[in-house]
Amino acid sequence: MNTQPLITTTEAVDKAFYIIFGISGVALLGITVAMVYLVWRYNRKRYPVPLSQKDHNVWLEITWTVIPSILVMVMFWYGWEGYLSLRRIPDNAIPVQGTARMWSWLFTYENGKTSDKLYVPVGQPVNVRLNSEDVLHSFYVPAFRVKRDCVPGMETYAWFVAEEPGSYDLFCAEYCGVAHADMITTVEAIPAAEFAGWLAEKPSATAAGKGLLQKHGCLGCHSLDGSPMVGPSFQGIGGRQVTVVANGESRTLVSDRDYLEKAILDPGVEIVEGFPAAMPPYAGKIPEEDMTGILDYLVSLTGDGSSVEEATEDEAEEANKPEEEGLAEEPTAPADAEEPASPAERGEALAAKNGCLGCHSVDGSKRVGPTLKGFWGSERIVTRDGQETTLVADDGYLIKALREPSAEVLQGYPPAMPPYPGLSDEEIQDLRSWLETLK
Amino acid sequence: MSDVRTTPTSDRGFFDEGQYPGIFAWLLSTDHKRIGLLYFWCIIAFFCVGATLGLLLRLELFAPGETIMSAQTYNATFTLHGVIMIFLFIIPGIPAAFGNLIMPIQIGARDVAFPKLNLFSWYLYITGAILAVTSLFTGGGPPDTGWTFYVPFSAQTSTNVSLAAVAVFILGFSSILTGLNFVTTIHRLRTEGMTWMRIPLFTWSLYATAWIQILATPVIGITVALLFAERVIGTGLFDPAQGGDPIMFQHLFWIYSHPAVYIMILPGMGVVSDIIPVFSRKPCFGYKAIVVSSLAIAFAGSLVWAHHMYTSGMSDMAVLVFSFLTFIVAIPSAIKVFNWLATLYEGSILLDPPLLYALSFILLFTIGGLTGLVLGAAAADVHVHDTYFVVGHFHFVMFGGTGMAFFAAMHYWLPKIYGRMYDKTIATVAWAIMVIGFLILYISMKIVGMQGMPRRYYDYVPEFTSLNQLATVGSWILAVGLVLMFANIFRGIFKGDPVGDNPWGGASLEWQIPSPPPMENFGEEDPVVTHGPYDFTKAGIL
Repeated sequence: MNTQPLITTTEAVDKAFYIIFGISGVALLGITVAMVYLVWRYNRKRYPVPLSQKDHNVWLEITWTVIPSILVMVMFWYGWEGYLSLRRIPDNAIPVQGTARMWSWLFTYENGKTSDKLYVPVGQPVNVRLNSEDVLHSFYVPAFRVKRDCVPGMETYAWFVAEEPGSYDLFCAEYCGVAHADMITTVEAIPAAEFAGWLAEKPSATAAGKGLLQKHGCLGCHSLDGSPMVGPSFQGIGGRQVTVVANGESRTLVSDRDYLEKAILDPGVEIVEGFPAAMPPYAGKIPEEDMTGILDYLVSLTGDGSSVEEATEDEAEEANKPEEEGLAEEPTAPADAEEPASPAERGEALAAKNGCLGCHSVDGSKRVGPTLKGFWGSERIVTRDGQETTLVADDGYLIKALREPSAEVLQGYPPAMPPYPGLSDEEIQDLRSWLETLK
Repeated sequence: MSDVRTTPTSDRGFFDEGQYPGIFAWLLSTDHKRIGLLYFWCIIAFFCVGATLGLLLRLELFAPGETIMSAQTYNATFTLHGVIMIFLFIIPGIPAAFGNLIMPIQIGARDVAFPKLNLFSWYLYITGAILAVTSLFTGGGPPDTGWTFYVPFSAQTSTNVSLAAVAVFILGFSSILTGLNFVTTIHRLRTEGMTWMRIPLFTWSLYATAWIQILATPVIGITVALLFAERVIGTGLFDPAQGGDPIMFQHLFWIYSHPAVYIMILPGMGVVSDIIPVFSRKPCFGYKAIVVSSLAIAFAGSLVWAHHMYTSGMSDMAVLVFSFLTFIVAIPSAIKVFNWLATLYEGSILLDPPLLYALSFILLFTIGGLTGLVLGAAAADVHVHDTYFVVGHFHFVMFGGTGMAFFAAMHYWLPKIYGRMYDKTIATVAWAIMVIGFLILYISMKIVGMQGMPRRYYDYVPEFTSLNQLATVGSWILAVGLVLMFANIFRGIFKGDPVGDNPWGGASLEWQIPSPPPMENFGEEDPVVTHGPYDFTKAGIL
């Protein structure tokens, strides 16, 4: 147990500032006064000939070597001590996952809830685990004196505690491209009870379901994004047609709740065609309430939009939050995640998830990139290999623009868009459906 | 200096003794003074371009939101401002211009050790500069990475970073060759009686600098070559998805670029160490301590690179070690400041322009150095790293330090090179305007940085507006001072009154020969040195 009173990050850092500024201020004043005095006192008008030719004094030189050495060691020590406070995460800190990407922030809480502002309870330490999806970014909250780079392929962290409720600026401090200066959000410090309410509100079915799948090891063999693994993917498993082989005969059935329950508890009876009979039976291994959660979740995975479930739930929960709470106002609010989403809705969710809206507006206003309003099917001038070409924003163009944006750069816009090679063809189709709705 | 014999062949010294006709007298000359002037004028031109870009950046920041340029233009502009100021102005500034002009004369040599290599260095410099400028107009447009070229962004951006990397690579070679030339010259070409302890402190500082140039610059060559490979053939050395590490790039980059800070500042310290004794008519206090501290800075300064990376994600142990070493390297700098002040004590001080610029170097460098302690302390750095506090800090050290020393060197040595004097009153007025503008500009930056404004932001939250406006106004005052200073000094060196051999009463060798110096600096016989560089009594000044 940490019985010492909590030193906030602000206190730890400010102590180093006071000591260094204190010593430096005295030193600067001393040097300036000495310089001005000497220049005035030994002016050539007063002394046409110098009073001496002294050029060394061993004791004086030792003194002004030793004293600064001691002072800088003091400064070093306080700097180091404060830094250790920043690195020592309090035991009771709430973990939050902070993901940085060009050019927006995404915060994921323990229960899977996500937001683009960082909500924290007043008075309780929060540990933000940082990573980056693309280039270097840096998580910086001046009010709490914390900063840590977000590095792709590596997890870093920063902890702090907000002692007063309020809204605090959160900046990206590591240069990350054209919209670096727009990569700003806030830390919203709200009273603990309010925070608990916010967090519990509209608990995310998806994240809970995914958590259960993870807990029981399902995801080791079944993907969520359509990619084949040992077993069939869960993508669109809710209500899809499956061909199974039972006792040497194959038949086609609908993957409904009953089928799924059977398939989990006693998988050896009906084997999905094309897959090995590798799954162990789970009868008696999964508690009742977990089973319900898993089935609820799997049934909800309809359609073929690959990562639609993640995206829609992130947005949906934000959208469904009561407005009067005045917490996060998500700019995009697709339909309820529980409903099978239409391609356009999935596209919209994808756009929000991938941060497209950080640079492209949907209301006709100009941001870093062109607005998406009326974009689909419009005639555009692009620069390709240094040559200007006119083309129509169609399917072929969209695929290229997403996967290799620097190949054809729209006239009047910077070549700033990062490539999105991870988007599947289906996802691009969804995006296209959504773009078509933006007249 | 007793036995110096000089017989000027004409009033215009080496200006009348070109080996080739017309422009080729310059472009093909291997004379260290002509090469020094080639560097000098190119460096001044790039400084003016860089300063104009800086003013435009400040204008953009006059108000939140897009003021005069878009985000992409702003990013390209600050990248260009940084690349020009660092690689084309500050790094070559004092060593390549004034080092070439003055150093061989100070040690009694007729030229540097390798005159042809010296000219080749200048051509490399110009090639690098042309490529850097070309990168703006070709490929995917002007680079937008900042002068630090951090991966993964620099490996991904579609702008013309590859060509800029090639330019930096070539500029690095220019710097290495100049360093080699200077080390060899100082070892081999000192005249009779010029013992190590009689070398003027300016030359000593160039000696320490040259070693850093030789030892550290290859690392930036490797770094940008790897970046080039990353971009062109996708080596993935810095890409975590391919087993690489983006933080490794930062280490490589700063292994050069931190010592480069000392390449920038040490020659400035040398200029100040030469000027203060002359205008106080006293030997430089603690000559040996200054020599030792220059070498100590060159050595210890090579071991502190990762203090740019406290928040990068590197280990806490690395933060501990680099923070500690950073504070160690502060000590020799402090010693130099105390030595300069002690030189003034009991002197006979004449506040001529060179001394004024040198004194403002001490003041501004001290402020920059003290704020460097804030950045060296691990906890404090976490708050102000990558904010305007850092921008303010390095402008105090680089512009207030090296820039002011460069201007001090101009006011001190250009009359020797051109044989004519500028208007001292105007020089003093320009100096005062510059210092006032400078303080307003960069102190505002430091405060807005303390408040948390990140650097490389073309737009900012409204609470930062007033300080940004103050800074921009400061930049205008500074610009007025700069224009006045340059106009006055250039008018002076072309049209001013002729000066004698020794207008300031200096005791080192360059003041014992005519102004402008003749072709091979000294007459038929090499000079013989019988006393130290600041022995005004033996030199007959007192």
